[in-house]
Amino acid sequence: MINRFQFERTESSRPKIDFKLIAGVLGVFTFFMGFALITPALISLIFGETIWWVYAVAALTAFTIGALAYYIFKPNSDIRAREAFFIVAVTWAVLSVFGAIPFLLTGVLTSPADAFFETISGLTTTGATIFGGISHNGHENSDLESLPNSILFWRSMLHWIGGMGFIVLSIAILPYVGLGTSNLFQAESSVLESDKLTPRVQQTAKYLWGVYFLFTFLHFLLLWIHPKMDWFDAINHAMSTLATGGFSTKDSSVGYFNSAYIDYVIVLFMYLAGISFAMHFRLMRGEVQNFLNNRETRFFSLVSLLAIGLISLGLWLQNDYSISDSLRYGSFQAMSILTTTGYGTDDYESWPAFSLILLIALYFTGACAGSTSGGIKMFRHLIMSKAILREIRQTVHPRAVIPLRVGNKIIDPSVVRKVLSFFMLYLILFVAGGVILALMGVDYVSALSASIASLGSIGPALGEFGPTDNYASLPGLGKWLLSAFMLIGRLELFTVLVIFSVPFWRE
Amino acid sequence: MKIVIIGSGDVGSELSLMLAREKQDVTVIDENQTALQNCAESNDILTILGNATSPSTLVKANVQQADLVIAATNSDEVNIVASMMCKRLGAGKVIARVRNDELLGKDAPIKPEDLGIDFIINPELSLAEEIVLLVKRAAATDLIELAEGKMQVIGIRLPKDSPVINLSLSEYAQHNKNIDFRVVAIHRGAITIIPSGKEKLRANDQIFVIALSHDIKQIIRSTGIGERSVQEIMIAGGSQVGRRVAQMLQAAGKGWHIKLLEPDYDTSYQVACEQRGILVLHGDPTDPRLLASEGITDTDVFIAVTNDEESNIISCLMAKHLQVAKVIAMVSKPDYIPLSQTIGLDASVNKKTSISNQIHQIILGENLLKVAALNGIDAEILQIKLPATSKLAGKAVNKLNLDLCMIGGIIRNGEVYIATGDSVMMPEDNILVFCKHSAINQVVAYLQ
Repeated sequence: MINRFQFERTESSRPKIDFKLIAGVLGVFTFFMGFALITPALISLIFGETIWWVYAVAALTAFTIGALAYYIFKPNSDIRAREAFFIVAVTWAVLSVFGAIPFLLTGVLTSPADAFFETISGLTTTGATIFGGISHNGHENSDLESLPNSILFWRSMLHWIGGMGFIVLSIAILPYVGLGTSNLFQAESSVLESDKLTPRVQQTAKYLWGVYFLFTFLHFLLLWIHPKMDWFDAINHAMSTLATGGFSTKDSSVGYFNSAYIDYVIVLFMYLAGISFAMHFRLMRGEVQNFLNNRETRFFSLVSLLAIGLISLGLWLQNDYSISDSLRYGSFQAMSILTTTGYGTDDYESWPAFSLILLIALYFTGACAGSTSGGIKMFRHLIMSKAILREIRQTVHPRAVIPLRVGNKIIDPSVVRKVLSFFMLYLILFVAGGVILALMGVDYVSALSASIASLGSIGPALGEFGPTDNYASLPGLGKWLLSAFMLIGRLELFTVLVIFSVPFWRE
Repeated sequence: MKIVIIGSGDVGSELSLMLAREKQDVTVIDENQTALQNCAESNDILTILGNATSPSTLVKANVQQADLVIAATNSDEVNIVASMMCKRLGAGKVIARVRNDELLGKDAPIKPEDLGIDFIINPELSLAEEIVLLVKRAAATDLIELAEGKMQVIGIRLPKDSPVINLSLSEYAQHNKNIDFRVVAIHRGAITIIPSGKEKLRANDQIFVIALSHDIKQIIRSTGIGERSVQEIMIAGGSQVGRRVAQMLQAAGKGWHIKLLEPDYDTSYQVACEQRGILVLHGDPTDPRLLASEGITDTDVFIAVTNDEESNIISCLMAKHLQVAKVIAMVSKPDYIPLSQTIGLDASVNKKTSISNQIHQIILGENLLKVAALNGIDAEILQIKLPATSKLAGKAVNKLNLDLCMIGGIIRNGEVYIATGDSVMMPEDNILVFCKHSAINQVVAYLQ
């Protein structure tokens, strides 16, 4: 009785948004970021670079600030849904600040806007970059190949920890983050409620990261055995592919290696990374039927095949490529955009309109929920298609009661509503982003495509920010805007936007 | 026989009424004083007020001495728990009414045996099965399967232009020599006749014919009714029975187009979620505009199975008026059953007949295997096993002195035969006998 009474009192005396708790939890994650910051220091030492101290300093800063925040605020109460949204959104922003330190301290980037843009583009697995590209826009620091290896590795590392989700990783590894971690998990990852593998969220997070790690390692091996890839390029590309990121170690991206084998291995792993990792785990556990019957996976596979087929056909018919080249470049580029990775092997802007338009359509897809890809995602497209078919049937039978089904599952009307509002909001943000960029003087193709490329965490856009260019020429304000878009897109709109809503703050 | 019935709801009260009439010692347990009083009012039974899941109530009802306990409340769980306790207390046979298939069905982890339950009855399911049979034989007013489906009794209403009108039964048999069949009962106006060979058939007679299952089609043809092909089926009511019917018709896999109307939105949504491939409509089945817009005129079979009997009758009449070939209504009030025939419903089904058939099958002795009542008319089907020392053995059917009943079929070592005048009966034969309700005891005494 006494315990219960105390509990109720402490609960009721807590403010609606408990900032002490938030600060404490943020401390935990910041501390944890320190470990990630140590890894490029090791790479730096291996290659005999002198800049390893940069990462040490950054890591030490993260450790100190994280530990201080934790001990001052001592987070020990439940994380409620509202706080979870806030924590996740702010964590991503704060981590991007810490992640940007190496870029600035090593001097490869001088403007904070550039460094923040590059970091958040890495963490959100967007792959939009200040560096690289083959048609230099007259910028001095645009050569990827002249960057220190540790910086290249840090970029890939940002992808990799952001892909499956930094908070999901923390939940998997840290012994105890606090009660209500499932709220954090839900707010960060796109794993559907029904896809939870175990009742306990920590176990689920462990399984997901286990599969993720295993695939990355496999991918690394398959790349490494090719003579054109050394171990360093193989590691970086493996991490980048599995995160569906898009950062490469070469200015001309994967095109640099000019190998059909490498292209197809990456196509395969982009496809795998586009499928829910919970589904992969199920498959490994022996639930083959479950995997094969998953409607979203099937829909994703169907869309992949259609996209590859049509785009390759267009290249073959209209672009005087041989059949094998059409298929190679067509499939690579289609999967790269569809899974929101953003690698390039060819300058698709010079492709014939048929293939290019199809490719642009893929900017609005995204792969499966629970994968590392971003964007609108297949299950939303699937539900929207079903909703359209249902609407047609409803017109014939106005009094019919037709529940929305995907496979054998009934989709609750509230889910359909959420999906439709998500899509509408997505389109609004896309246009708004384009309009604001245009106001900064960006041309309309570049503005609109950059807007969707950031929102959908794809990376390379069209025009000024196309596959052969980089984002260095974007005005500073534009970089902040797109950084925000990447974050909003990665956390599936509502997690971030809810913080700016009035009811969120109301008692 | 000492019988305890648990629950005095629709099923329980009907059972107590039926069994009390048969001069059994019936005790009824219920928590609800009013329901219990209603049940006892017109009945010679003992009532016990109390909760059936409490052992003291069961002991008060003396279940330990009972030969038969029937748990028939509306709750599956109460029925199961009460049945288990009765068995442990020493009751003879225990029957539980369980509506949910998942609970104790074929694939369930617990089987009735595990719980000491001897039989499961599911009136809604048997009713649905009956409806599905009627849909499959669109020309029939009634259809009863006997001997594991090898034989059927079919009810047919003779149209005015039927070629068999004014023929006597023996002439009718002469005309169709190639099929073995017997007309076992005729329902004319409000009276039921167990006919002799001289009985002449008249227009609007409802005749009941027993035949082997594969001959039923020919029987229908001989009466001049064409077998209608069924395409569009409309079900009014998403009740337990309605859902079952939809599910079973769907599972029959004949490519039927099935529509189901349900006035309550939540129920209709639930039905739509459960059933794939049928079109669920939200609306009042008695609303002619809705029926018209959903194509009632193209409908071949209309089935009204809402829980509201009056609405079932009304919507069926409406459908009949709109030229639907066959309408089937669920009508449970005994008073309405003869009425439904008079006003022209093609077939009415009824939960109570179906329950009493099931219970009779279970409670009657070894030699009297099965009794089914024909819906709405005063005739019963008995399956009687002849004793090894029967004095009737070796005699032909037409040598017997049978005024009150008619022998329709013989089951011998798993083979089935339609009895004709010179069929000879053997010891240990199971014979199917048709007689009026009032004559059951006499007939049984004579044959055994």
